[in-house]
Amino acid sequence: MDPMLPSLISTTIVLFQMMCVIVVFAYLITRTRFFDEVLVRQFTWKNQIFLIVLFGILSIYGSESGISVLGAQINIRDLGPMVAGLVAGPIVGVGAGLIGASYRMTMGGFTLVPCSLATVLAGLLAGMVYILAGRKFPGILIAVSFAIIMEGLHMGLVLLISRPISQAVEVVSDVALPMIAANAAGMFIFSFIIANLLKEKQTQEERDRYHKELERKNAELQIAHEIQTSFLPEAIPRIPGYSLAAMSIPAREVGGDFYDIIPFSGHKTGILIADVSDKGVPAALFMALSRTVVRANAVWHPKARNAIQGANAMISADARSGMFVTLFFGILDNDSRRISYVNAGHNPPLLFREGSSPVPLTPTGIALGAIDDAEYGEESIDLNDGDVLVLYTDGVTEAMDSQNNQFGEERLAEMVSPNLALSAEAILEKVCEGVRVHTGDAPQFDDVTLMILKVGY
Amino acid sequence: MEKILRIDERESGNVTVVSLMGRMDASSSPEAEAGMSRLISSGSRRVVVDMSGLDYISSAGLRVMLASLKKLRNDGGQLVLVGLKPEIRKIFEIAGFHRIFTIYPTADQALHSFDTIV
Repeated sequence: MDPMLPSLISTTIVLFQMMCVIVVFAYLITRTRFFDEVLVRQFTWKNQIFLIVLFGILSIYGSESGISVLGAQINIRDLGPMVAGLVAGPIVGVGAGLIGASYRMTMGGFTLVPCSLATVLAGLLAGMVYILAGRKFPGILIAVSFAIIMEGLHMGLVLLISRPISQAVEVVSDVALPMIAANAAGMFIFSFIIANLLKEKQTQEERDRYHKELERKNAELQIAHEIQTSFLPEAIPRIPGYSLAAMSIPAREVGGDFYDIIPFSGHKTGILIADVSDKGVPAALFMALSRTVVRANAVWHPKARNAIQGANAMISADARSGMFVTLFFGILDNDSRRISYVNAGHNPPLLFREGSSPVPLTPTGIALGAIDDAEYGEESIDLNDGDVLVLYTDGVTEAMDSQNNQFGEERLAEMVSPNLALSAEAILEKVCEGVRVHTGDAPQFDDVTLMILKVGY
Repeated sequence: MEKILRIDERESGNVTVVSLMGRMDASSSPEAEAGMSRLISSGSRRVVVDMSGLDYISSAGLRVMLASLKKLRNDGGQLVLVGLKPEIRKIFEIAGFHRIFTIYPTADQALHSFDTIV
């Protein structure tokens, strides 16, 4: 020691040199697997013994690195057992304390008993704090406060036990401040590293939980997709004298489009295509409601217009969020080839007839869900042999390429018109192909549903 | 990146004029819906929606307009649409919404209509 420096400053310098050692020690010990296990309360004999020995060694280092003031050691012997107790409970705390205390016993001096006792006590009390904090590390503030109180207690024990009392008072008044400061600083370093480690773990846990949540949601959406698909006809029913093809692809896992083919008694067939506003889960829920309501009304009312009027009254009652559904519902008389229909705000289906331009079956009323007492008109049209009726949702005509150009009705007609001789299935494939070519790499924005009814095969 | 939908708002007397510019589809409609909801809950009862800058509206956009109309009418308010381009008007017409919305060619005419109603 430089004799020119006042003892307070010189001892403080030595103690702060210790801090560097502590930083390295704390860094290394917190990076071990055993420390990780203890932090998540997976206690084994192996990791407890490992921590007892390591923190015991830290305690020995705390004694050994200390400097002597009037025969008393200014030291950070208590730090190891304190940290051990705060992170791993009383057993590890006392274990490390006993190692530190045993070593202290070999060093002698008139403060031997209180100093050894304080080291064991440090581990024990730290373990109590650990339990009181709910069997976890109590955080930086409590840990540092505890270190200050513990070192105060340590000084108290010296005053209580060491004799002669005058010498004890002299030692305590000399070393109390630097010792409390050194242990508090050491504890701060440890706490800071441990708190960071815990935060890191928590962030990781949150990320894992978020990941799991996402997986669960995806799984749920997959199930929802399957349920929704089961709402669509499993197989297209055969209508004698007609060929029929349909497909529906939601933009996301679930969507708001649907179609239905309902066989009625007396050689009649209900043909339905519908599009719920918006897309995704809200649309899918509304689709499930609408599909059931429309089907029930279609089976109940023999006339298309009454069925849709009834369905609208029910759907409107549940459409508070502005949800609505556009649909085309036609009842085809299989034998007379007359189709009576209601178009509730839906994209007009196109009737293609060899040698003439396509005829749109324009709306006869407003979308379902917009107003509860809406009136619907009913139109009818006679189909001829070879006629092709193309029913679609706006996902087809509004399918966009990368320059935001819509597929449009014209392109749709271009896909159908030259192929009227093909089967319904083949025409459907032509249109799909046309949409695919048009959109290219652009993502599918909307649910796409397409149905082709052809008179004949 | 350019925004798909721009929403401007101005007050004209006791009427709020909302201008929608760009494209109102499933991805941009939630923003418009939030804007309209905020407007209505903050007490606006006479709302003019200027669509002269709107290039496209999907069913998601129609839903936002319908929800706003229903909310305003429930609270004794009014919603008027102005400046619909032909392609936008066509979409409203197909759905049959031209029959439930009050539609004027220009914002001035809509504002004037409020004066005469009072």
